[in-house]
Amino acid sequence: MSRSTLVRIAFIGALGLLFVGGGAPVSSVAAEKASIHTVVIDGLKFDPATLTVARGDTVVWVNKDPFPHTVTSQGAFDSHDIPADKSWKYVARKAGDYDYICTLHPNMHGKLTVK
Amino acid sequence: MRSLNIVLASAFLVALGEVLAQGAPPGAGPTDPQIAHIVVTANQVDIDAGKLAEAKGHSNDVKAFGKQMVTDHSGVNKQAVALVTKLKVTPEDNPTSQSLKKGGEDNLKNLRGLNGVAFDKAYIDHEIAYHEQVLDALDKVLIPNAKNEELNALLVKVRPAFVAHLEHAKTIQANLK
Repeated sequence: MSRSTLVRIAFIGALGLLFVGGGAPVSSVAAEKASIHTVVIDGLKFDPATLTVARGDTVVWVNKDPFPHTVTSQGAFDSHDIPADKSWKYVARKAGDYDYICTLHPNMHGKLTVK
Repeated sequence: MRSLNIVLASAFLVALGEVLAQGAPPGAGPTDPQIAHIVVTANQVDIDAGKLAEAKGHSNDVKAFGKQMVTDHSGVNKQAVALVTKLKVTPEDNPTSQSLKKGGEDNLKNLRGLNGVAFDKAYIDHEIAYHEQVLDALDKVLIPNAKNEELNALLVKVRPAFVAHLEHAKTIQANLK
């Protein structure tokens, strides 16, 4: 067996170890941990405008406009003002359909569904 | 007030026509430095009116709307100034900017002489006329003529804010009657 073949085998072996060693813990953590979803606010639009998540998931709204917005679902959740380039995080604990608006620009609509 | 708004709107459109006719080949619109100046002036005019409404407004809705105009238009201007600085564009004064500025000054003068519900009505009426004019200018003159991609993108990105403000002002106007 040539030296270069040995090196190649060693390299592939190391890659395999990386996969087994690094991959397994990540997937097991992912199974236990709730997901994080991002909604971007840009040009006075929520993107995506409709989002479905599982109970316990976290939704992060990121405001990319140069002025504040809110994420407000009456009686359910209210971010109050999210300044420009800031974000707001919400842990969706209760199942249901939640229509929300920006109270500062009430023609901005979004919907969050929690399963 | 309505007739004053119509006069202001007409002056604005005439000024836009002058920009279109000036110095450039037939059919050419304002240059990017002129557009940058128009954007900054248009925002500043509404910031100044908003500050007055925040202080002098009669109803809480009008005060809150004035405050929001200051916040939103200041945010847009901050982004516009950052962009023109980055692009090394020097905003260039022009008849449209001058007309906007004059319209803003006349509006402030008129509003300073009013109080209570009369102030609220005059401020909101003017906000509606102003946002309609700016939207018209964005669609017919500014966006079609902005050559720099980033300047054009900024105009397109902030356009919905003017639509939202217009709708919000119309809701307040309906509640004032």
